[in-house]
Amino acid sequence: MSQAPATPAAAPSPLVTPAPARQAPAAWRFRPRSLAGRTALVLLLALAVVQAAGLTIHALDRVDLQRFAQAREISQRSISAWRTVLLAPPDRRAQMLAEMELPSSLTATLDDRPLARPDQPPMPLPVARQLRLDLFAASPPRYRPREIITAWEPGGPSFIASLRLPSGEWLNLHIRLPPPRPWHSETFLIAFVAMTLAAGLLILWAVRRLTFPVRALAEAADRLGRDVNAPPMPEQGPAEVARAAHAFNTMAERIRRFVGDRTQMLAAIGHDLRTPITRLRLRAEFMDDDEQRRKMLADLDEMEAMVAATLAFARDDAAAEPTVAVDIAALCRTVLDEAADAHPDLAEDIAYRGPERLTAPARPVALKRAIANLVGNALAYGGAAQLSLSPPEGPGRPIHLKVEDDGPGIPLGELEAVFQPFHRLEVSRNRETGGTGLGLPIARNIFRAHGGDVVLRNRPEGGLAALATLPA
Amino acid sequence: MEPQPHILVVDDDREIRDLLSKFLERQGMRVSAARDAKEARKLWPLGRYHLVVLDLMLPGESGLDFAKWLRSQGEVPIVMLTAMSEETDRIVGLELGADDYLGKPFNPRELLARIRAVLRRASGEPGAAKEPPARAIRFSGWTLEPTRRRLLNPDGAEVPLTGGEYELLQVLVERPNRVLTRDMLMDLLRGRQAGPFDRAIDVAVSRLRRKLEDDGRNPNLIKTVRGGGYVLAATVEKG
Repeated sequence: MSQAPATPAAAPSPLVTPAPARQAPAAWRFRPRSLAGRTALVLLLALAVVQAAGLTIHALDRVDLQRFAQAREISQRSISAWRTVLLAPPDRRAQMLAEMELPSSLTATLDDRPLARPDQPPMPLPVARQLRLDLFAASPPRYRPREIITAWEPGGPSFIASLRLPSGEWLNLHIRLPPPRPWHSETFLIAFVAMTLAAGLLILWAVRRLTFPVRALAEAADRLGRDVNAPPMPEQGPAEVARAAHAFNTMAERIRRFVGDRTQMLAAIGHDLRTPITRLRLRAEFMDDDEQRRKMLADLDEMEAMVAATLAFARDDAAAEPTVAVDIAALCRTVLDEAADAHPDLAEDIAYRGPERLTAPARPVALKRAIANLVGNALAYGGAAQLSLSPPEGPGRPIHLKVEDDGPGIPLGELEAVFQPFHRLEVSRNRETGGTGLGLPIARNIFRAHGGDVVLRNRPEGGLAALATLPA
Repeated sequence: MEPQPHILVVDDDREIRDLLSKFLERQGMRVSAARDAKEARKLWPLGRYHLVVLDLMLPGESGLDFAKWLRSQGEVPIVMLTAMSEETDRIVGLELGADDYLGKPFNPRELLARIRAVLRRASGEPGAAKEPPARAIRFSGWTLEPTRRRLLNPDGAEVPLTGGEYELLQVLVERPNRVLTRDMLMDLLRGRQAGPFDRAIDVAVSRLRRKLEDDGRNPNLIKTVRGGGYVLAATVEKG
């Protein structure tokens, strides 16, 4: 249903730049809205950072270890290749070298000239130290190479060490350091992924569990809003949660006591007023002046109506009445029939338009009062009451109820204000026309207690329309 | 009906008690008044009362308890008064056997009319008056619940009725398949419903037919009898 504007929309001032529509930047658009989601996100991000750091440390360590092991092997094999070549008879040197088992990262050849050329950059010192080439220099003079030339083949972890034999030949050691393989171990990776998944799931579960009390608190507050006698929250769980629940229950209890006190006080006032009104009614019967008696009884009727309306408004009777299936169409016709009986002069202008039968859950006494208030208002101020009832347009849609009159309508700015208790319009609807100033507030309270609402709108063709909704 | 009915008024407010006594005496009734249940019990053996007007809110023993005691004493009709016209009170009162019920502040003339109607019913239909009120009266799929004053349609949904429609329907279902002329209906309804209803039996019948989904041109449930009367053509079950 279209909501009548409460106040005329304020014209935008030219001095003030209209604020751009609040829209989260793209990066934040996917930020979870729930506390659980946000907490889980932060924890998962932290977990990811910690895991990434751990993984890096592990990988670097592993790379170091691999390098060390490779270098150790290469240096040992290189030395044994050198000794083999040095000690073997010259004619068998090449054959013995070929028969040696060398790791794939090391190739040894016997050539007439060094493969390491002096124009190439020498082997970097850390690599040389790692490969323990200094061991050659430190060996006894008999075994010491006559000359060592190292070279670094640019563009790769490929090095050449050329060692000159006393015979003048060169042992060329071609060393290719293999790229480090930090992810060598499959079991480690599987364990790592399993661990991360387990930690992630644990985080999700724990966060949902820990934020459950917040959701429970919100639900309890919701329930309290609808029904002041809603059952208290269980005061269990972690200390903070139990304390919050206890504080909530204490607050609910205070509200209950306040509402109870107020209801009791109003009931007492109502009761106390009813006794003198009853006495006055009886006294009026003994008055001889018929005219004065009639007027006095009319005054008493008005007083009684005001007391009844005030009590009904203050006690919020709708909340106490059970909800049952009610034929809303029959209810509307009953209200109109009673209005026609009470205002025979206006009977021609009271009409019903809608289905013959329309069942919906409702509190019949309260809803009848609400509709009667709308119809009574239309008759009192608009001289007519056309009630239209429309069944819901689909599942989940509300029932629409409209009461239209032919009166002067209400100024735009007052359409919402008349729902305030005891609010009176200055001009068209003053005290002279009667009424308690509570008819519309009571009607709205009742419709809202049903889960619907009621607003007023001036009809384009003149007159006022009360538009109400009611869940089907 | 006896020429001068004797009424016992039980109300804790002295002014109301005195004014009501004076008012009823002016209407040709004999009135005794008691301020609470204790005093009423003392007065009880001293007279033969035709009706008790009982305030529910009494100091000491409650009006409901006193009504129970009255019921154990005999068949005296009770009209209950209360400042709390709460639904539950009314239901309890009617189930306990109060013959009528009026919220305070009441209109004295309405009280008088109801007293007369209850007296007429008590003297005119001695058999019917002794029966405890039925919780539910079923006819043609419809259910009338007298203690809650409501009508349920065959689907179990409440069909709201005006006071006049309800009274008319109750009179009809209490006398199924019996032709009731307009005069008889008016007589049975007088006192129950004041005001424009007296002139509008036909209007009320047509409204009732509409709510009972009875075709007005060819009614099956509330039939029009030639010569000016109506009859409820249905089997009525009380339970």
